Amino acid sequence: MQATFNVYRKEPGPNSKPGRSTYSVEVAADATVMDALLKIRDEQDPALGFRGSCLRGYCGDCTVRVNGKAAFACTAKVAALAKKGPAEISVEPIRNMPVVKDLIQDWDAFLWNKIDATKPWLEPNGSTADGEQRIPDTVMAKVRKAMSCFYCGLCDEGCTVLPVDFNFLGPAALTKASRFTWDPRDHAVRERLQILERPKGMWDCVHCFEASEHCPREIAPTERIMEMRDEAFKYGITNEKVARHHLSFAASVKRSGWLDEGRLAIESEGLTNFKGLMKLLPTAVKAITRGKAPIPYLHHKREGSEKITRIIEKAEANKEK
Amino acid sequence: MKYAFYPGCVSKGGCPELYPSAVRVATKLGIELEEMRDVACTGAGVLPQYISDPINARTFAKAERMGLPIMTICSTCQGVFGQANLRLQDPEYRAKINREYLAEEGLEYKGTTDIKHLLWVVMEDYGVDKLKAMVARPLTGLKVSPFYGCFLRRPPEVVIPSKEFAGRKTYLEQLIDIVGAELADFAGKGKCCGFPVLTANEESSLGMTAKHTIEAKSKGADCMVTPCPLCHLSLDGNQPRAEEQEGKEINLPILHLPQFLGLALGFTPAEMNLKRHIVSTQAVESKVNMIA
Repeated sequence: MQATFNVYRKEPGPNSKPGRSTYSVEVAADATVMDALLKIRDEQDPALGFRGSCLRGYCGDCTVRVNGKAAFACTAKVAALAKKGPAEISVEPIRNMPVVKDLIQDWDAFLWNKIDATKPWLEPNGSTADGEQRIPDTVMAKVRKAMSCFYCGLCDEGCTVLPVDFNFLGPAALTKASRFTWDPRDHAVRERLQILERPKGMWDCVHCFEASEHCPREIAPTERIMEMRDEAFKYGITNEKVARHHLSFAASVKRSGWLDEGRLAIESEGLTNFKGLMKLLPTAVKAITRGKAPIPYLHHKREGSEKITRIIEKAEANKEK
Repeated sequence: MKYAFYPGCVSKGGCPELYPSAVRVATKLGIELEEMRDVACTGAGVLPQYISDPINARTFAKAERMGLPIMTICSTCQGVFGQANLRLQDPEYRAKINREYLAEEGLEYKGTTDIKHLLWVVMEDYGVDKLKAMVARPLTGLKVSPFYGCFLRRPPEVVIPSKEFAGRKTYLEQLIDIVGAELADFAGKGKCCGFPVLTANEESSLGMTAKHTIEAKSKGADCMVTPCPLCHLSLDGNQPRAEEQEGKEINLPILHLPQFLGLALGFTPAEMNLKRHIVSTQAVESKVNMIA
C-alpha cells in the first residue's frame, strides 16, 4: 500500500528552526510506522533521524507521537492509521522532551538525570546466614508493578506538570523510586523519601491520573506515587510547606468534620510568613467585597463530627509506623 | 428522581455561589435532594487513604441506609469517592473497614452505593431529551470552553466502568450544544487546573491556571464552564495571580456547571450568583441579558 508521512524535522542546535518533510512510501499491508521510517531513510532521506531498538514494542526506544497521539513507532500499524486518520500520517517527537534532531530526543534531560536523582538503587539491609533474602510473593507483587516499567516515557509525555515545570521529577522517575519503598531488602526508605520530598519531587505531582492513562503496562504510576506519599505520612513529612498544608487539612476535618478553607489558606502559608500571607490579601479583599467570603468568617462543626473525629483518631493510631 | 446530596466543603466554603445555584437548578429540574449533613469531607486526595477510606465508607453506608444514590457537585469529591468505592468493592477490605471503624456506630457498608456527579445525573438519569425541553433561554452566541477537572475524566476504571458510560468524556461538550451555546474547544480541557500543587509549587500551579485560560481565550471563549469548584478556585480565584506571573491580562470568566445550566434554564445571572466571582462575569451577563 502507498502511504504518506508528514514528519517533524529539526537540525541539532538551539538556533535551528523546526520544519516538516513529507514522504510518500510503498509499504506492506501489515507494515508499522517504524517499517515506513526505516524504508524512508534507506530509500529517500538518509539524514532522517529517529530511534528504535527492539522493534517489537518491548523497549520504548521509538516512542513518538503519531497523528497527535503518543505511540510506539514499531507497533503502530500504517494501515489502521491510514484508514482512521487524515491522508497524511503525522509523526512527531513526544511532548515535554527537548529535541536533539528530528525524532531523536534528549532522554538524559527528560528522564535519566531525574531517575539518577532519586537514589534508584537498593541499599541492602544485610542478609540471612545462608546469604539469601527470602521475600513473600505477595510483597514482591507490589514491587514488581513498578519494576515492570521499561522507561518508554509515555507517562511523562502525558504529565500535566512537566509542560509548566520541566524540572519536576515526573511520573517515570517517581514510579521507579517508589519501587524501593516496598522492597523489604532496602533500608534507605526514609532517606529516599526525604530526597523525594524536596521541591520538584513527589509533592509536585497533581495526581491527575494522566500518567496512569498513558502507561502501556498498567503500572498505574499515579497510584504508585500516591501510595508512596501515603507512606511518607507514616514516616512524618519533612517538606515544611506540604506538612503545614496536610496537617492543617487533617486537623480541620478531625476537628469539625469538614474543611475550614479560610484557616487552611492561612496555616498553609504559615502564621509567621508575612510575605506569603500578603500574597493572599488582594484575592481575600476581592472575595469579601464580592460576597464570596463571608464576614464574620465562622466555621461550624458538622453534625456528628465527634464520630468523624473518633474514626480519624483510630485510623491514625492504626497506621503501621 | 431522588439523591442523597453531598455538596462538598468548597460549595459552602470557598465557592459559596455554587451551593445555592446547584440547589435551584436541581429543584427546577425536579431532581429531589436529601442533603447529607452529618458526613465528613472526602479528604480531597490530600488525606491519606488510611484516613479517607474509613470516613468515606461511613458516608456510603449512610447513603445506603437512606436507600439513595449520592449526588456530588464537585469533580474532586466525585473522584475521591469513586476511587474509594472501587477499593471498597473488595469484600475483605470492606469487612475490615466495617469492623474497625463503622461497627461502633452501628453502621455497615454493603458496597451498593452509586455515586454520581450532577453532570452525570443530568446527562444519564435526567436525560438529554428532557433537558432540551427545559431550555428556556438558549445561550445562542455564547462561546464556551469546557473544563472537566481530572477526576471526571480519569482514572478510566472509575469514570468509565463500562462501555455504557463512554460518553462521559464529552458530556460538557454535549451540554454546551444542548443549551445552544457554541463550543470553544481546547486541548487543556481534561488536564489538571493546578490547584493540587498550589502549596507545594505555586509557580507551577499558577502556570497551569494561565496555560488553560490563555488557551481557551485564544480559541475565542467568552467563558469557561467547570463542574469542579476546586478548578474554579484555581481558574477564577487565582487568575489575577496567574496574570501577574505571566505578565499578561487574561480576564476569562469561569462559570460553575449549575450556573451555566441555570442561565439556560431561565434563571437570571443574579439568581445564579454570578457577581460572587473573582474574575468579572460582566461580559457573560451582557451577552445573556441580550438573549433574554
